[in-house]
Amino acid sequence: MNRVNPLYVGVFLVFVLIMLSYKLSNVKNELQDAKDAYKETSKLATDLTSLKDVYNNKKSLQKSLQRVLSNPILKPALIQQDVKKNSTTIISLAMDIKALNFLMGKILNGTYNISSFKVKKLSDTKVSLDMEIKW
Amino acid sequence: MKFKNRFKNKFKTIFLDPNTSYYNVDEKVNIILSPSLYWVKKLSLPVKYVRDAKKLLPSIFEDSLPDGNYSYFAYKSGDEFYGFAYEDKLILETLADKGISTQNIASIHFAQSELDKIDSALKVNDEQSVYVKDGIVLLVPCCWIEESGNLNLWDVKLSKHKISLAQYGHIVNNSSLYKIGGVLLALIIIVFVEYFITAQKTSNVVDMKDELFAKHSLKSTMMQNRALLKKYDKLHKRQTKIRESVSHILALRLSKNEKLTLLSLKNKTIVAEYSDMNKGMEAYIKKTLKSKNLKFKTKFDSKKKTLHVEINI
Repeated sequence: MNRVNPLYVGVFLVFVLIMLSYKLSNVKNELQDAKDAYKETSKLATDLTSLKDVYNNKKSLQKSLQRVLSNPILKPALIQQDVKKNSTTIISLAMDIKALNFLMGKILNGTYNISSFKVKKLSDTKVSLDMEIKW
Repeated sequence: MKFKNRFKNKFKTIFLDPNTSYYNVDEKVNIILSPSLYWVKKLSLPVKYVRDAKKLLPSIFEDSLPDGNYSYFAYKSGDEFYGFAYEDKLILETLADKGISTQNIASIHFAQSELDKIDSALKVNDEQSVYVKDGIVLLVPCCWIEESGNLNLWDVKLSKHKISLAQYGHIVNNSSLYKIGGVLLALIIIVFVEYFITAQKTSNVVDMKDELFAKHSLKSTMMQNRALLKKYDKLHKRQTKIRESVSHILALRLSKNEKLTLLSLKNKTIVAEYSDMNKGMEAYIKKTLKSKNLKFKTKFDSKKKTLHVEINI
């Protein structure tokens, strides 16, 4: 008989439905994975960008350190600065407490990457300072 | 009778009647239904097309048919319509009785449309004959009429009026089948649309992720980015710890004569040295630093009255 058996058509439709449902389930899983990946990337991007802005902004850090070191309060401390490619060393053989408080306050409250430092009491009013900052 | 080229029929033709013998067919055949397997009416209807006439058949046959599940068929001949009512189940059962599988059926025709031009009664089996009266093909017992010969189906050229049997029509009627099919189709469409929308959403999320990479100038792989974040995170934690530890050391309350003589940071250690320390200060410093959850060790020299404190960051 030429007429297509309705049972075959029904089975075909059910098969198509099952296949599409399976595909839909897969694509839904893919969407969830894509959403999770987007969330992770978004958080990572935000964290990374903000941390990079803080610690990887060489020019801005150099500029702000120069501003601090050029303050008149540090003049008597006779600070020597040795600038290298990836770091700078600040040395003062004798500085008063006021200058030390000013300098340490600025550096500790800033976002400088302090690699090492040494503050040694020389007398009741004087200290020596040796500090390395990296960028 | 239509004496046409016998070779025009591709397949063998069988006259199907409940009283004919068993065929045991294993090849494709054309079937001509005996008048005993259908009801026919010659009709003059106020409609032009066969499809319109077909719609009227259930109500036309309503009063004349015994109870059953009927299918309908019609064709036009001149100005008149021939309307048919038949039971798919009855025909299928007869086919099965005669050893004809539905797979072997090429086409099914009514005797009315195929034998309407015979000019005399023809014998279809030992007991029955067909003949035409008033344009209607009838099946009658042989004794009623004098035949001029046997029906030779090879000489019959089949018309284009053929039917298809609804094999499950007696279990589920056509309207139910259409409804089930409709529901399945609707479900398929819904699932497909949802699939399409979900795939589109996935593609958009992937695009947004790529935009994030470009906007924040991220490295090409997440592994590189994670490693970079880990590096900066470590650096940030170290710098925070340095500042917290220095802050805790500077916040310690000393007596007038007690002095902080050295404060240094090297690698992962902050060192603080005190001079002229009183007895009991070591315990105070230990207690304070412990309360700040710092990892540290102290060394008190009672002779020199110095205290050495090392904090691990």
